[in-house]
Amino acid sequence: MSTENTAIESYATENNAIEKNATENTTIENVSRRNFFKTASIATGGLVIGVSLPMQSMAFGDEVKEFDFNPNAFIHIAENGDTLIYCGRCEMGQGISTALPGAVADELEADWSRVSVKQGDADEKYGHQATGGSASIRRMYIPMREAGAAAKEMLIAAAATKVWKIPADQCSAKNHFVINNNNGEKLSYGQLASLAATISVPEKPKLKEKSEYNYIGKALPRHDQAEVVVGKRMYGVDTKMPGLKYAAITHCPVLGGKLKSVDKSAALAMKGVVDVVVIPRFEVPFGSIGGVAVVADNTWTAQQALKKLIIKWDLGDNQSYDTKAYKAQLVKNVESPAEVVTERGDLKTAFSNAAQKLSATYTGGHLSHSPMEPNASVVYVEDDKCEVWAATQAPKAIQKVLGEYLKREPTDIIVHVTMAGGAFGRKFKCDYVHEAAVISQQVKAPVQLIWSREEDMRTGYYHSISAQHIEGSLDEKGNVTGWLHRVAFPPIGSLFKADTTGPSKNDVGAVDKYPFGLPNFRSEIGEAKAHTRIGWYRAVYAIFYGFSFSSFADELSYKAGKDPLTFLNQLYDANDNAEQKEQVKRSKDALALAAEKAAWHNRNKLPEGQGIGLAVHYSFRTYVAMAVRVEVSGDDIKVLQVDCVIDCGQVLNTDGAAAQMEGAVAMGMSLALSTEITFRNGAVVNSNFHDYPVMRTSDMPQVNVHFVDSGFEPTGLGEPGVAPFAPALANAVFAASGKRYRDLPFKPMTV
Amino acid sequence: MNKTIIINGEKQNIDVDEDMPLLWFLRDRLEKTGTKYGCGTGLCGACTVHVDGVATRSCVIPVGVLAGKSITTIEGLSENGDHPLQKAWLENNVPQCGYCQSGQIMNAASLLNENPTPNAEEIDSAMQGNICRCGTYQRIKKAISQVADDLAREVS
Ligand code: FES
Ligand code: FES
Repeated sequence: MSTENTAIESYATENNAIEKNATENTTIENVSRRNFFKTASIATGGLVIGVSLPMQSMAFGDEVKEFDFNPNAFIHIAENGDTLIYCGRCEMGQGISTALPGAVADELEADWSRVSVKQGDADEKYGHQATGGSASIRRMYIPMREAGAAAKEMLIAAAATKVWKIPADQCSAKNHFVINNNNGEKLSYGQLASLAATISVPEKPKLKEKSEYNYIGKALPRHDQAEVVVGKRMYGVDTKMPGLKYAAITHCPVLGGKLKSVDKSAALAMKGVVDVVVIPRFEVPFGSIGGVAVVADNTWTAQQALKKLIIKWDLGDNQSYDTKAYKAQLVKNVESPAEVVTERGDLKTAFSNAAQKLSATYTGGHLSHSPMEPNASVVYVEDDKCEVWAATQAPKAIQKVLGEYLKREPTDIIVHVTMAGGAFGRKFKCDYVHEAAVISQQVKAPVQLIWSREEDMRTGYYHSISAQHIEGSLDEKGNVTGWLHRVAFPPIGSLFKADTTGPSKNDVGAVDKYPFGLPNFRSEIGEAKAHTRIGWYRAVYAIFYGFSFSSFADELSYKAGKDPLTFLNQLYDANDNAEQKEQVKRSKDALALAAEKAAWHNRNKLPEGQGIGLAVHYSFRTYVAMAVRVEVSGDDIKVLQVDCVIDCGQVLNTDGAAAQMEGAVAMGMSLALSTEITFRNGAVVNSNFHDYPVMRTSDMPQVNVHFVDSGFEPTGLGEPGVAPFAPALANAVFAASGKRYRDLPFKPMTV
Repeated sequence: MNKTIIINGEKQNIDVDEDMPLLWFLRDRLEKTGTKYGCGTGLCGACTVHVDGVATRSCVIPVGVLAGKSITTIEGLSENGDHPLQKAWLENNVPQCGYCQSGQIMNAASLLNENPTPNAEEIDSAMQGNICRCGTYQRIKKAISQVADDLAREVS
């Protein structure tokens, strides 16, 4: 989900042409006659359509260039009519394995109840499968629909030319049947599948008009929910097999530290303990940071024995990392002149001519993804084979890292992708799978390694700690005349380049291109070296960029003596960049609808202590506006209602889209109010959900989700909902109480 | 002589260290994986099962102390996945990743056993110990109230 940083975002915005090109170069193949499915056990016969896109790079650092997007998929219509869609993308709760097949089924004129979806293993045939950047739907929507349409045309052609000997245009398809329009005769897809496999693939399959959709834009049930409610859905933690050993692991608490010594004797003496394995740091992106693991015949014994190890670490250079001091340093770095990135107009003159000026500094802490399923996989390394069962967002990365570690070809590593019990960007990095491989190699057995919650929280990849300083100027009429924006945060790029000293110019692309009209503008980068692993976290940098832009605009509106909504519209209207016209319009439309649904214009009639705050943010090519209504009494903040407006172009599955927004509100609320990872003496202090208090049910507000039908092609939904929540909340709290929160989370827990 | 425990109606020998939490006895010894590990310290509810009908965090209760007791896991909640809560969960499309949901359902089932007609506040307080990181709370509450409403109609 969260593999996209702003670099990619700006890449995506700028390179529409490339993307379009890629879509046009889609190839749809009839692969029924090839022995194509090596690992998928699928009955021969029937029709198999393969879809492939040409290679396309993501732009987040040379080191990961080989993780190219090349999403492929397959549709198989069996002779009994059962239709199976192999989806190479990774499912982690965001509903991708329902939304895409829904689009296929629509074009195929399939009966949804006959369509099932299978998660593809890591295999060349799916191309690159990294699931991130909310990009799945965006990149696969047209190709998948075309594949469905092609299959339908082939089924019709089979019936028309091979059975009824009539022109194809005298036939139609509906609900898993081809119909002879002349006499109403019907042939089922199952009857026709093998015959259709002999027809050549149409070059330009015709897609349906919007008015003809059966499934697209409707509420579709998730395909795997029946298994979930009876406990049968298999996750990364659930793989079982004969001879399986169980491992527990502990890591050096400080990044870059090394093992000095380990006394294994007490652990090895425990009944059921098989071995103690030292895992050295593996210096490749997503390799293990180094640790010690205990292997036993069950997880609990392994966890107990782990506590009996006497380990001495050499903590290394990062042992003085302290997030409180570091945040203060970042604030200093952004409150003084820094390295200029972009300059537009004449900021100096704007500031000296200002009728009024305002400045504010916004900060945010590290976050841990903490999906409910901690990192887990089973790996079995044999002399001539390596097989992996993992909850992962990037099966190809596993092949790459394990291939490098075992000195084997990446394609020789077989990766089975299980359902992920939440991921949020964490399971894009496969250090935990690498560790299971090291252990398996040593004990010569399949090994299940489950990280404890504590390890997950203490040695993860964290969302960046950040500081931003904004200075703005207003003229007499309350128009924004100047905007200075300084940022400092340890970027994700530090994972790939150890000498990174702060955000790159690409990292501030979203600041430079923010769709406000800011004629006199300057962005600057302050120093921020990483002292822990920084990783993609659902919504990534949009979390703090959304917070600073929407909070500061709100602050400015009060300074200008204007209604915040009017002021925001004015900021957008001031944008005369023709290339951002669409962004301006869609942002404003989303905002207007959110305001309307939340009865913004009647907000003066709210009971004492209540207030509404607005924010809109464009990220991952999707627009999300939120109106948050709160009740504040003293330090107590109660979120009552959130009206959330999405413009993601064509919505595929309305129910799934709403679920993503409800989830984004829950996650946005945790990070806005309470969750923060604190480092002291180089190590994380938090350990479990008592001191990393993610939101619970009684905090959940009423979330209403509304859609803007903008007529554009679909864009992603997994991440964009997270960004607008925190600023809308901050603005609401201010409206209700006059108190302005500029540090995320507002009410950190002291740990 | 091993002590025994009844899991979903079947007698099982407690043939492991009696201190082993029920969670790991279920998952690693019996390979019943519907009950999930989320925190291991009673903080998240992912591991919730019923002990003699009452919601219990299986990660913190040693299997040895449960000798003779009857345990129900998500796999045993209903014969065919047709417990009213399971049906309501499907109807409301509750799960996202689904990982927390067996714990949520088991906790909700225990709530309804004790109080078939909980109001919104009672639902909140009973479900407060079950974390859903995907944020499905709104739908969970709706599904529970729906079942509670149906039950209320049956009794009246
Ligand atoms: S795993 Fe038992 S409460 Fe979290
Ligand atoms: S559905 Fe994912 S944690 Fe609840």
